[in-house]
Formats: sequence, C-alpha cells, structure tokens
Amino acid sequence: MTIFGICAMLVIGVAGTGTHPLQLVVPSGWPAPKYDFTKNPLTLEGFLLGRRLFYDERLSKDSSVSCASCHQQFGAFATFEHPLSHGVGNTLTSRNAPALQNLAWQSAFMWDGGINHLDLQPLAPLTATNEMGETVANVLVKLRRDTGYVRMFREAFGDTVVNTQRMTKALSQFVLMLVSANSKYDRVMRGEDSFLLPEKLGYGIFKQKCSSCHREPLFTDLSYRNTGLPLDTTLNDYGRMTITGNKQDSLKFRVPSLRNVAITHPYGHDGRFFSLLSIFEHYRKNMVLSPLTDSILQHRLPLSNFEIGQLTAFLNTLTDTAFLTNPLFAPPGYNITPVFIHRH
Amino acid sequence: MTTALGLLLAPGYKATDHHPLTICFHNTVGGRPLELSTAVYDNRFGEPFSVEQFKYYICSIRVTDREGNQELLAASVHLVDQADTASLTLRLSCGLKRLRSIAFVLGVDSTANTGGVMTGDLDPMRGMFWTWNSGYIYARLEGQSDSAVSPAHRFSWDVGGYKTNANAAREVVVSIPEGQADEGSGGKPYEGPITIEADLLKWFDGKTAVRLSASPTCHEPGALAMRIADNYSNMFSIVH
Repeated sequence: MTIFGICAMLVIGVAGTGTHPLQLVVPSGWPAPKYDFTKNPLTLEGFLLGRRLFYDERLSKDSSVSCASCHQQFGAFATFEHPLSHGVGNTLTSRNAPALQNLAWQSAFMWDGGINHLDLQPLAPLTATNEMGETVANVLVKLRRDTGYVRMFREAFGDTVVNTQRMTKALSQFVLMLVSANSKYDRVMRGEDSFLLPEKLGYGIFKQKCSSCHREPLFTDLSYRNTGLPLDTTLNDYGRMTITGNKQDSLKFRVPSLRNVAITHPYGHDGRFFSLLSIFEHYRKNMVLSPLTDSILQHRLPLSNFEIGQLTAFLNTLTDTAFLTNPLFAPPGYNITPVFIHRH
Repeated sequence: MTTALGLLLAPGYKATDHHPLTICFHNTVGGRPLELSTAVYDNRFGEPFSVEQFKYYICSIRVTDREGNQELLAASVHLVDQADTASLTLRLSCGLKRLRSIAFVLGVDSTANTGGVMTGDLDPMRGMFWTWNSGYIYARLEGQSDSAVSPAHRFSWDVGGYKTNANAAREVVVSIPEGQADEGSGGKPYEGPITIEADLLKWFDGKTAVRLSASPTCHEPGALAMRIADNYSNMFSIVH
C-alpha cells in the first residue's frame, strides 16, 4: 500500500538529479498555492526526510516530544483532546495546537500570524522552553551523528551538508503534502456524492451565517478576527496585537479552517471550547461584545436549536478520513498512525 | 537589495582593476576596547554595566571616492560578533581608489526577513532571529547592570524590525579622514586596514536618552527598538 501510494505521487519523466519529483495536486476549484515551490521543489526524498524529522522525538531536549506529539494524524494533525499543548518536563504552552492541513495555501502561521514563512515555523516549537526545549545547533549535532540521517540529507539535497535551512525545507516538504480535500463535502462538490437532508440544510445555513469568515474551499479566509472571546487572565494572550503592536488587533486570532472540525476539538486558540455545541453557545449567547468585536458579529450570531442541529450535520461532512488514515503521512514503518503517539 | 543593484548600475560607477581592501570593526566603550563579561563600564547617566554579548549585522557595504564615484563592495550580510574575532575583519575587493567614505546598512534586508530560512551568517541557528514573530534581530547588546530592575539585573536589548513604521535598519555613512586611504605602499592603491570604531555608549544616548533603569528589556520591533536603532546608528567613526 505504501509503495503503491508513493508511486502514485511520483511525476514520471524527470530524472538525472537522483531525486524523484513530487507534485502537489491542486484540487479542482482551489486557488493557487501561496508557498514558493521554486525555492524548495518537492521530492520523494525530501518528503521522506521531512516525515522522519516530523516523527522524531530526538528533536526535543530530552527525546520526549516530536512534532507529531502535538500534531497527530488521527486528529488532523492537531492534538486529540488537549486544550493546551504539552512540552518537555511537564510544561504547558498557552495555545492549542492547530490542525496541519492545506498549509501550502497559507502564508502566515500561528494563531496570531507571527510567523511569516512555512520554513521558519518549526524553529518556534523546537526552541521554545515549554515545547521541545532544544537549540537548533544541538538538533543539527544529533542529526549529523546519525548516518541514516546524513544519507537521507544527501539523497534529498545532493550532498551530506546538514544545516538549518535543509532541515526546515524537508519538514516543509512533508507538511506541504498534508492536503485535505477528500471529505464527503468535497465529493458532493465534485458530483460524486449527495448530501443527506440535514447536511444539505446545514450547508445552506453555513453559507448564510458562517462562510464570510470560514470561506470555501479552505473554510477560512485566513484573516484575524475578534470573536468576543474574553481574555483568560492566566494566559494573557492578546493574539494578533502582540505581533502588530496595534491596539485595534487586541484579542484577534486567525480564523481556523473548519475542515476536519469534528475531530479537532478542543477549539479556540487556547482550546477553551470542548465541543461544537459550546462554540455555538458562545456565538449565540456568550460573546463578550466590545467596540473591537468583529463588525459582522456586533449582534452576536443568532442560531436556533434547529440550525445548530443542521449545521452540526453539515460540519461532519468535512471530516476527511482518507486524509486521517493516509499511510503516507503515518510514521516511518507504520501504515496507520499508532495511538501511542498520543502519550502526553 | 534593490538599492544595492541601483548603485551598481549608477552612471558614476567606473569598472576598474580591483585590489584587496580590508575593513576592521573595533568595538569600544567610550574609547576603551570592549571586554566581554569582566569589565564594568558606566554610561552617561551613571549606570554601571557589563556586557555579555555585542553583535550586529551589516550589509550593502559601499565606498565613495573623491570624485563621488560609488562602488558596492559586498551586498551579502555579515554578522559582527565581539565574541568571534574572525568576524571583526572583512576582506573585500575594491575597484575605486582614494576613498572618501564608507557606507553600509546596519540591519538585514527585508527580503531576507520574509524569505524563509537562510544560511551562513543569516542562519537562524545563530540566535539573531525572532522565531515567534518572524524577523532578524539586527543588533544585540546584552549584559548586567545594577541599574536594571529586571530578573538577575540582566538587561537585554535586541533590536530589529522590517515592517512599515517599525523598520530598524539604518543607513550608516562614515567619512575617511583626509589622505588616509589615498595610497598604499609603493604607489599601489590603499589596501587598508580601514578601522571602523563602534562606540557602544552611543546605544544609550546617540540621539535620545535610553536608560537601563527605565528600559532594561527590548525584545520586539517597535518604538523602543526604533529609538535604540536611532541611537546606535551614530556609533561608528573612522579614526586616523
């Protein structure tokens, strides 16, 4: 299965460099990706190196945390059931790990958009004392001592140089391939399936009440918005304002994609919502309104119990089981991501 | 980088035979050579301090000769690090003679701030980079001061920023004293070394006063970083 899957991803006909080019297939009707692939062409070798790095706990200070510890395939590469991500030595972060999907269409990262390039993203969790707690220099030392890694760097990049840029480019190659575009919703849009009545009604309500922020086909417009979340005074996370220094950006956070939303709970930048129902209650009742609340939510978001039911039916159609169980995205040596990944 | 290319193509530029030119950076505190860790200094406000780290990025190094011709010597970014002796000397190649001034940018080009992970002196591994709010730290002054009301009395000034209204990159021009770079031995072009002195006391009062007691920490782009950048952009000079 794995071999077959990899072969299916190969673009036949380009040879000579010793690498096997991969192509990111842009789903029909989607915009052009924002990632600049000319600076980091996808190859099978780069992807496999990135996947190994992604699943390697040795990248952390005490070999206890990998990227995959908080980004679990069965949770759409978010953390299954954790509100705040866990770091080395019983530390906690102040944020909920977001799902990793369709990152090629995104140009800023983190809940506050503070990171301006996908290749830079791994450096934040690698070095944060409450995440992986390691230095980049030490990570490179560990990789250079491992002949298996040195071989994979050579296969991916042509020689045995192991540096920050190559490590992060390989990680980007892996996460760039994490495309989720094969849910029931997608099949319906392609004319290969049809909605049940509640799903269809829910889609109508979604387009009327949700899609101005959770815009199709990515189910986010990638903007930063204040949705009336009161400040948690134990976290003091002001979101976008921390990056821009602009008071108007207080408590704004990136609109998350709703793809795979049924399995990416808890929700919100700090994971304060444990269920979709609690999100709906927030929007219709609990929002704390202020002049900085997003203009389209100034009267909260009225939702009837009927609408909540139909919306829930629709949101369940965004679960992409082909993505959640794709063996290519499982740890090296596995066909399906094992549950023991989730051990914190 | 656009600026640099423009200069290369400027009508005043003359392509000539190139000769080596060595430029050295000499970091001082009010004229005394900078010693890391051990020495204690005072700034103009009577605040005592010691220095653990002193680093800054320079790029786009240009020279101008007596006739006003300009030449770009090195567009690439170089990290000057007081703890790394080799980093204090730059060996360049120069076509112009009888130099009048040297110009450079203290900071990192905005394209490098938005272009992902770089290599060499710009490798984020060197720590001159903000991982949570992407961008390079252009200059760092870190140490301890009894005047700093902060944990362990540490002060930490990391200055950077590339966005509009928070761009901390600074253009620096230093004049070469009359006659110093006219001629080398035996009538050959002057090959240096030209020593550029950087007086870190200017960080505190090069333009406006920034006191350790009031601002022991600068860890993000913004108003304080801009004030410190304005200050330290005045720290360079060439002494005969």
